[in-house]
Amino acid sequence: MRTLMLKLEPVVWGLFGAGMFVAGLLYPAFLLVATLMQPLGVLAPDALSFERAHALAAHPIGRVVLAAAVAFPLWAGAHHVRHVNIDFGGIGRDAWFGALCYALALVGSVAAVLAVARL
Amino acid sequence: MNGQGTKTFVVTRFDPDRDEAPRTQEYEVPVREDWKVLDALNYIKDELDPTLSHRWSCRMAVCGSCGMQVNGEPKLTCKTALREYGDRVEVGPLANFPVVRDLVIEMEGFLERLKAVKPWIIQAKEAAVIEGTNRQTPEQLAEFKQYSMCINCMLCYAACPVVANEPDFLGPAALALGHRYNQDSRDDGDSERHEVFRGDGGVFACSFANECSEVCPKNVDPSKAIQQAKLLNVLDWARSFVVPRGGR
Amino acid sequence: MSLRARVDAMKGSAPPRTRTADPAPPRNFPFRGNYLPYVAFGSCGILLFAVGFGLLRLVWVLGDGDATRWKAIFESYRHPLYIVFHAFALVALTWFTFRFFRLFPKTQPPKLGPLPRPPDAVFLIGLGAAFTVSTLLVGLVLGGALP
Repeated sequence: MRTLMLKLEPVVWGLFGAGMFVAGLLYPAFLLVATLMQPLGVLAPDALSFERAHALAAHPIGRVVLAAAVAFPLWAGAHHVRHVNIDFGGIGRDAWFGALCYALALVGSVAAVLAVARL
Repeated sequence: MNGQGTKTFVVTRFDPDRDEAPRTQEYEVPVREDWKVLDALNYIKDELDPTLSHRWSCRMAVCGSCGMQVNGEPKLTCKTALREYGDRVEVGPLANFPVVRDLVIEMEGFLERLKAVKPWIIQAKEAAVIEGTNRQTPEQLAEFKQYSMCINCMLCYAACPVVANEPDFLGPAALALGHRYNQDSRDDGDSERHEVFRGDGGVFACSFANECSEVCPKNVDPSKAIQQAKLLNVLDWARSFVVPRGGR
Repeated sequence: MSLRARVDAMKGSAPPRTRTADPAPPRNFPFRGNYLPYVAFGSCGILLFAVGFGLLRLVWVLGDGDATRWKAIFESYRHPLYIVFHAFALVALTWFTFRFFRLFPKTQPPKLGPLPRPPDAVFLIGLGAAFTVSTLLVGLVLGGALP
């Protein structure tokens, strides 16, 4: 497993960098507006109503942005968590732990593409 | 009192014939205002305890032999002023290395890692002598000069959390050295080195803690070299699918 | 607290000529000096997982066409625990982004194709501008002011 991860390292590293970029550009605004301001009632009540959210998400640009916003940061998360494990003495379990991190990111990425396809 | 006076040195001792594990020993040293940590160690060796073993040579931050942990931080002891420290100074061997004796570490593993990155100029075609010298512009020199200032003091290895945890990691100085040759306009060995860089313990094992660059006494900035090598490595890897490599 | 270094850290391929003591770890890792932000930065990976999968759940519910569930999710976000978690994630990931941007210029090689590498300040200004524009845009769209 480690050999496979080593072979794919250039790809994963690219996804990891892209993920930090995407997360950095999108997540602070998303967290602030959608998960804090909206529930706390700072916004207009229908700003994130189902109909409006669906219309935004189903727009071609919306689909691309959402798929990217889910998939790339998962790879960044996976790579970071894998390396934290190694830094805390976990190189012995890296073969399965690292693989598990990337498997989660892979499953999430596929699900993200499916999720925007079925909007 | 930080200037003239006496300081207590807590020095790590290890005698492979007698000690199971390293222990510490305290020495009271009358220090002078302008002393470096190394001066105090030499005082201990000359005046208090001739059995203390430590490496040093040039006393001017060029030879790279006197790297030790001073109060837990990797330092060149010839460059570290004692007045920066309080009345108790702990001196130990560099972290992350096997210890041969007292403050002397085993550097065989380090030398092997240096060799692994092929730190010499590899040319696609050996130029005939009659063609004259290899010329290089100041701009071309500037692309790698910083990375060629390394004195192999190994402080970066002592600071790196990945070195502590990944026994195969080539480590900051070796990877930066490999990158230095990849950036050299006279060199054609990039692809060979990129192969090594993507191998086990190569550039991607680095998780960019940046501590190597923090402790580097010569401002080589190994972490910069490694991050740049990662990006160039991905490009080289992608290119390897487009252009098959010749068997040089 | 200090984690241990591996006993085989920096070992050569041949056994040493004399008996050696095991390597000491970098002292006080991860709770000293620069190690702390480094470990915190890496640990933000857990938040990226959490927010990423949270967002995936929202998109999935949109795809289900289930308006009641959608409403219920946003109702549940009013729970104090969710508020605390989201506020923490906001602060942590904003810090994460800025640390990433600050480190970013280091990762760029001295030559980008034929072009020489611009100075670090150019990268930092560009990244800052991208962050501001993107945050404003996403905020306005999600907030209902655009389009």
